[in-house]
Amino acid sequence: MTEQENFSPEESLQLIQTMIAKTRKDLGNNSTHFLLWGWVTFVACTGQFILKHLMNYEKHYLVWLLVFPASLASIYLGITENKKKVVSSYVGDSMKHLWLGMGISYFVLSIILSQLGWNTNIFPFFILLYGLGTFVSGMFLQFKPMVLGGSVAWILAIMAGNFNYDYQMLFGAVAILISYIIPAYILRSKNKIATK
Amino acid sequence: MFKELDPILHSQLRLAIISLLISVKEAEFTFLREKTKATAGNLSVQINKLKEAGYLDVVKKFHNNYPQTICKISPKGIEAFDKYVTALKTYMHPGQQS
Repeated sequence: MTEQENFSPEESLQLIQTMIAKTRKDLGNNSTHFLLWGWVTFVACTGQFILKHLMNYEKHYLVWLLVFPASLASIYLGITENKKKVVSSYVGDSMKHLWLGMGISYFVLSIILSQLGWNTNIFPFFILLYGLGTFVSGMFLQFKPMVLGGSVAWILAIMAGNFNYDYQMLFGAVAILISYIIPAYILRSKNKIATK
Repeated sequence: MFKELDPILHSQLRLAIISLLISVKEAEFTFLREKTKATAGNLSVQINKLKEAGYLDVVKKFHNNYPQTICKISPKGIEAFDKYVTALKTYMHPGQQS
């Protein structure tokens, strides 16, 4: 782009729109974190169902220890991304704060679950939180598949309330697939096309 | 009645810089260069003009031993951009006045 001062109001408006669209492509692209946490929680939910319901393994909850290496990977990813970051956005910051709050909420809910006992039918509350996080993220990013995924998670939370803990985990796995994993893959492919 | 367009903003590269910064919190020089496809020298001159007008806050620092220039639109810059867009509208829809 060169320095040019003789351009029409239409060209000005076109330029403003083009530049704003260019920044939008770079905002809130954290599909890697969604995929990491999506797959970790999906594997943990289905794994716990298999261990508890199908194999009658007593320490079925140990599958959730996967969360610790995932946290380390997520922190490492975050630090690496921060080093490469050339733009800081309000959307990106809001997403970071939202998911930090969500992470703390999951942790608090896990402690409550361990206090109440592993057979307490508390899993719909986790699904409720999955819905909240993805719905708000989808709104921030103006990304419909995530908004839809979050809404479906809320419906699944209501449905899961009719089942026992074992089957609630399967509802959880489906909610994660629909609200995290599928939208994250769509987001990733959209970003790839946009940056071509 | 056509409103006068701010001469500081009515320049292709300066308007591009402000338009990029309006929707982000702050951005590095390299980001602005990549998006505007301007030469480093020209971009630097235009950033300085915007800074002198009080439309941008520019912070120079070192990150991992590399010099880094971070640009952020100032409240005065936001106001100027808002006025510029309002003035543009009078050209697009001459019958409407705000």
